[in-house]
Amino acid sequence: MRAMRLHPAALTLVIIGAVIMMIPLLWVLGLSFKSNAELLADTSRVFSPPYTLENYLNIFGNGEVFRWIINSLIVSLGMTTGVLVISSLAGYAFARLDFPFRNLIFIIVLLGLAVPEQAVIIARHQMFSAVEMHNTYFALIIPGMATPFGVFLMTQYFKAIPKDIDEAALLDGASRFTVFWKVLLPLTIPAQATLGIFVFLTAWNDYWWPLISGTNKEMFTLTVGIASTQQNFAQTEGLGFLMSQAVFAALPILIVYLIFQKYIIQAVAGAAGR
Amino acid sequence: MSGVRLSRISKRFGDVTVIDQVSLDIEAGEFVVFLGPSGCGKSTILRMIAGLETVDDGEIHIGERRVDHLKPGERGVAMVFQNYALYPHMTVRDNLAFGLKNVGTDKQVISKRIDEAAQSLEITALLDRRPGQLSGGQRQRVAIARAIVKEPALFLFDEPLSNLDAALRGRTRLELAQLHQRLGATMVFVTHDQVEAMTLADRIVVLNECKIEQIGSPMEIYRRPATQFVATFVGSPRINLLPVTVNAGTDDKAAIALPNGEQLLTAIPMAKLPEGESFTVGIRPEHARIAEDGVGEVTGTAEVVERLGERCLIYLDLGNGHKLTAEDRGGSTVKAGDTCTVKVKSSRAHLFDSTGKGWHAEGE
Ligand SMILES: Nc1ncnc2c1ncn2[C@@H]1O[C@H](COP(=O)(O)OP(=O)(O)O)[C@@H](O)[C@H]1O
Ligand SMILES: [Mg+2]
Repeated sequence: MRAMRLHPAALTLVIIGAVIMMIPLLWVLGLSFKSNAELLADTSRVFSPPYTLENYLNIFGNGEVFRWIINSLIVSLGMTTGVLVISSLAGYAFARLDFPFRNLIFIIVLLGLAVPEQAVIIARHQMFSAVEMHNTYFALIIPGMATPFGVFLMTQYFKAIPKDIDEAALLDGASRFTVFWKVLLPLTIPAQATLGIFVFLTAWNDYWWPLISGTNKEMFTLTVGIASTQQNFAQTEGLGFLMSQAVFAALPILIVYLIFQKYIIQAVAGAAGR
Repeated sequence: MSGVRLSRISKRFGDVTVIDQVSLDIEAGEFVVFLGPSGCGKSTILRMIAGLETVDDGEIHIGERRVDHLKPGERGVAMVFQNYALYPHMTVRDNLAFGLKNVGTDKQVISKRIDEAAQSLEITALLDRRPGQLSGGQRQRVAIARAIVKEPALFLFDEPLSNLDAALRGRTRLELAQLHQRLGATMVFVTHDQVEAMTLADRIVVLNECKIEQIGSPMEIYRRPATQFVATFVGSPRINLLPVTVNAGTDDKAAIALPNGEQLLTAIPMAKLPEGESFTVGIRPEHARIAEDGVGEVTGTAEVVERLGERCLIYLDLGNGHKLTAEDRGGSTVKAGDTCTVKVKSSRAHLFDSTGKGWHAEGE
């Protein structure tokens, strides 16, 4: 990547923008370390001690919240794994195999990009109702596994790998599956990482479908769960506890970001430039 | 080590016939080069031998075994690609080992073969690097090593030198020749570069428009081109072609009249030439020399003088709508714009009839 020197004025603007975006986050973080009793009286001393870990300890003490975190993890990881498997296999097929109506099917898959969730959510709800599948991990995970974007991304990625490489491997006595598994798939790791992060974050932050499908408290994901605790007086009574849950909800995203920083920046830069 | 036999093989892409009933016998240990312009089907034939393209018609044998229905990996061939086609995510060592592991070769055998091949191609120091960390020349060596470790019955090369710079290309060419001598393996090499073909081949197969134009040793191809296409494609600078009329000369040799009316006696037997044909004469530049004493058959104005050191090439405009490339000694005094006379060694002239078929002097 080219090293670029920002104009001082641009740099100032970027810094101001960053601070503006960070203030609410720091506010949340600050509140989460305050005792609920203190916040009930006054929220203006967020940035001065005393601080307490009470709210975080409460999360682990509170079986419900803990359960939601586990639910969110299961749903997000399940969906990520599913999307990666399906997109890789489909992408390989569209890029490398010759089968009837390949282009037509590919176009149909792409048309899926244009269908908003809002348009299908009632039908989806009724489908899962009909088979009495609501309030299962299956119902929370499966709809998200159909990602036209993932199929498209992986198809393009496989297409960009020169066919010579497959052919060299075939001549090296590799079966079609070995070519896929040992030669091509490892070459798509950057795309897998990008797609995986994208799906994981989307699933982790998703609210609408889990709200509709997971109506049991047991099956809430973290987003739905946190929202459910925000009753009328939550803002005043359990503010610190609420904030600690919000911080906790954001934590996996932060971790994912730190681990895959390189790929995320590449993905964003790749989308912008070139 | 085994020979290869192509028996009337054909290949169609959709409605387009790319290879039309090609037959060819390659002997064990032979170095055969497919030479032809881009798009003539060289790679397609090579890929059919490798099993990367299906064969629509005909049979392919490697050694005694019919292979055209076998998978690429079962044919005992190794191929070196133009763009190297190394596995980018594997180290050089793993690149070399991949093919051997797939067929379940013993670990010790693998590492012994890798060490030997790496030593002979001087890539031992690179074994733990990835292809991305290598230069073009180094990648090419790795690609060749990957072929060698498999100890294949047959080596296939698809324009393996065309991505290298001139100096490296020359060096690698030499090394390939040495490799062939050392291994004594059968090799089929595809190129559009006549110099590569001339220097490497035991036999050259000249291809044009889906068909074999000629099969022969490099010198046969050069001295007795079967067709006008072969004559123009092989030889640099290009052979001179001039329309001529043919008449009976002496000793049953054909005489020709050049466009300027000058008569020349060739060494081509008159009796064999078809009658009532119009002919083109082919004269290689080295057989058209600037006459320092001014005694010659053709006169023209020098347009360009190319000094190559040991000789000069003089590009002449003959003034009658024809051009001629002639040779002179390295210290030539000819300058652009000079009028020169050329002495043609007519005993070395070739004739081509209107179908492009070539006629040559007896013998040689
Ligand atoms: N997969 C393919 N589909 C359609 N046409 C092809 C395909 N591969 C090669 N061809 C055509 O076959 C002809 C010969 O190609 P190729 O063997 O690659 O030529 P060369 O290697 O001599 O340059 C070309 O006209 C090319 O366009
Ligand atoms: Mg080619």
